[in-house]
Amino acid sequence: MILDLERFQAQAKPRWNGLESLLGALEGRPDHRLSSAEAEQLQELYTQAAADLNRVTHGALAPELRQYLERLVARAYAELHYVPPTRSEIWQWRRWLRILTAFPEAFRRQSRYFALAVLVTALGCAMGGLAVRYDPASVDLLLPADYLRDPGKRVQEEEQGKNRHQSSAQTEAAFSAQLIKHNIEVALLAAALGVTFGIGTALLLFENGVLLGAVAVRYTQQGFGLFVAAWLLPHGVFEIPSILIAGQAGFYLARLLLRRREDRDVRESMREWLLLIAGLALMLTWAGIMEAFFSQHHEPELSYSFKVAVAGAELALLTVYLLVIGRTKTGAEAHAGIRSENT
Amino acid sequence: MSDAQSNRPATTVELTIVTPEGVFFRLPLAGPASRLYAMLFDAVIVLGTVNGVGLLVYWIFAKVPGFGVMVITLAEFAIGFAYSALLEAFWNGQTIGKRLFHLRVIDQSGLPLRIEQAWVRNLMRVFDALPFAYLVGGMSLLSSPLMQRFGDRVAGTLVVRQTPLVAPGEESWTRQKYNSFMDYPIVAMKLRRAATPELASLIQDALRRRNELAPYARREIYRELATYLQTEISPFPDELVEMLSDEQYLINAAGVLFGDQRLARIRR
Repeated sequence: MILDLERFQAQAKPRWNGLESLLGALEGRPDHRLSSAEAEQLQELYTQAAADLNRVTHGALAPELRQYLERLVARAYAELHYVPPTRSEIWQWRRWLRILTAFPEAFRRQSRYFALAVLVTALGCAMGGLAVRYDPASVDLLLPADYLRDPGKRVQEEEQGKNRHQSSAQTEAAFSAQLIKHNIEVALLAAALGVTFGIGTALLLFENGVLLGAVAVRYTQQGFGLFVAAWLLPHGVFEIPSILIAGQAGFYLARLLLRRREDRDVRESMREWLLLIAGLALMLTWAGIMEAFFSQHHEPELSYSFKVAVAGAELALLTVYLLVIGRTKTGAEAHAGIRSENT
Repeated sequence: MSDAQSNRPATTVELTIVTPEGVFFRLPLAGPASRLYAMLFDAVIVLGTVNGVGLLVYWIFAKVPGFGVMVITLAEFAIGFAYSALLEAFWNGQTIGKRLFHLRVIDQSGLPLRIEQAWVRNLMRVFDALPFAYLVGGMSLLSSPLMQRFGDRVAGTLVVRQTPLVAPGEESWTRQKYNSFMDYPIVAMKLRRAATPELASLIQDALRRRNELAPYARREIYRELATYLQTEISPFPDELVEMLSDEQYLINAAGVLFGDQRLARIRR
């Protein structure tokens, strides 16, 4: 049936205006909350506008009117079906501090993906280490930078402080910020590469492992094992696990994308992914500070055994944090319905 | 729940949402050009903010410039990610650039996007920006039926066009004071009964696009439509039709078909 547009518009206009002003009032409220009378009124006006839209769609060619009604219906639909967080909920500091306990919980829930990240990195380490150990020609390929190829020269330079021309707290601060920024970018990329169904994440972790294994074997072969441990571990005990957690987030994302669309709980999964990212960003901040302010100081300024001991203490604390914090809430977790993507 | 359509108009990709109540509505998806302009505008704002913060920090940390560099580097990094994520999360799915270009990020189901989605789609930029100038994101957008870059695909979000909401006014051709077809109520009623919605839409479209058509094309289209109506649908008396141009014939016919108030007379 062809619609008598003019008459139809004249009759419907008051209710469209009513819906518009109600939506305007609701959208202007900080908490977007409806009273029961308003909810009833909104539901009624929404139903009428939807019916009007249906009539215009099938009874007339009136693109502007149809577009107007579609916008009106879309806005009403959003108000009826979406409850935004209130401002007070957003600005509760306790909510934000909850990240500190929620992160290790998420880490444990998705531990299978962490294990996978460890496995890929370990394979890379083994390959890098074995290549350097049994095929000296591979050193040039695997360790392109001079300072990695020639540990003796690098150790001498480091111990004489040649690489710290303007060694001061200030240069260290600037250096630490660059490290934090760079490391978070790399970690974020590893986590985002999950979108390639985990292939990109695996390649990045593997490459990282190859370099790590090659450097460790090269320095140990030449008798600088303690130096390299003292040089890399104080920040590495946070940096390496955080790259592994980035890999964990990447594999988690890949698994999510491989699930059937209807089986995904996108909201919870995104929260889980974000928790892993937030946690690793905090870890990399600490790693950046340690790398700039502590790792670059060598003997005689700082004894290597002391640096390794500090690294050991850091690792112990990190392990306790990741494995224990929030554990008493296991029951609550189960009730919260956040499930592992393992299944 | 929803599917993409690319039927009409040709340059607009639309998403059709079907609500749980069975209501259909369409959302026009934003194209790559407007999204690029909005992004560039936002980039200018971020750069301006970062430089402003930089000057302030240099002034505060004048005596310890190393710490100043540290604060600036970290602030620049944080602002780069947080600008879009926070604005989209708390400002109706819009950044300043998006608001300027009438764009809005929403959930794939037609609802407003959630805080988690805003963060995920913006953190995923590290991948979309690869290898340079958002090449990966751009390719993803162009190959996606819903115009989504990878960040949108992961977060389940869409960027839609949101033009100002104004109720349409009256069409100029519907405002004629006298419609001679109304003097022949039986023929007019026949026209109203026999014309399909498609035919009525065709007439309305032809009149609405009057100024977009070249004079020759307009004359031909109007002649064909008027002849078809006169010979196949509802033959108005020849003495009346001879006095009308094809355009006036169609205006009268549209008046009969679409909401002329004097239809009341026909009903009586």
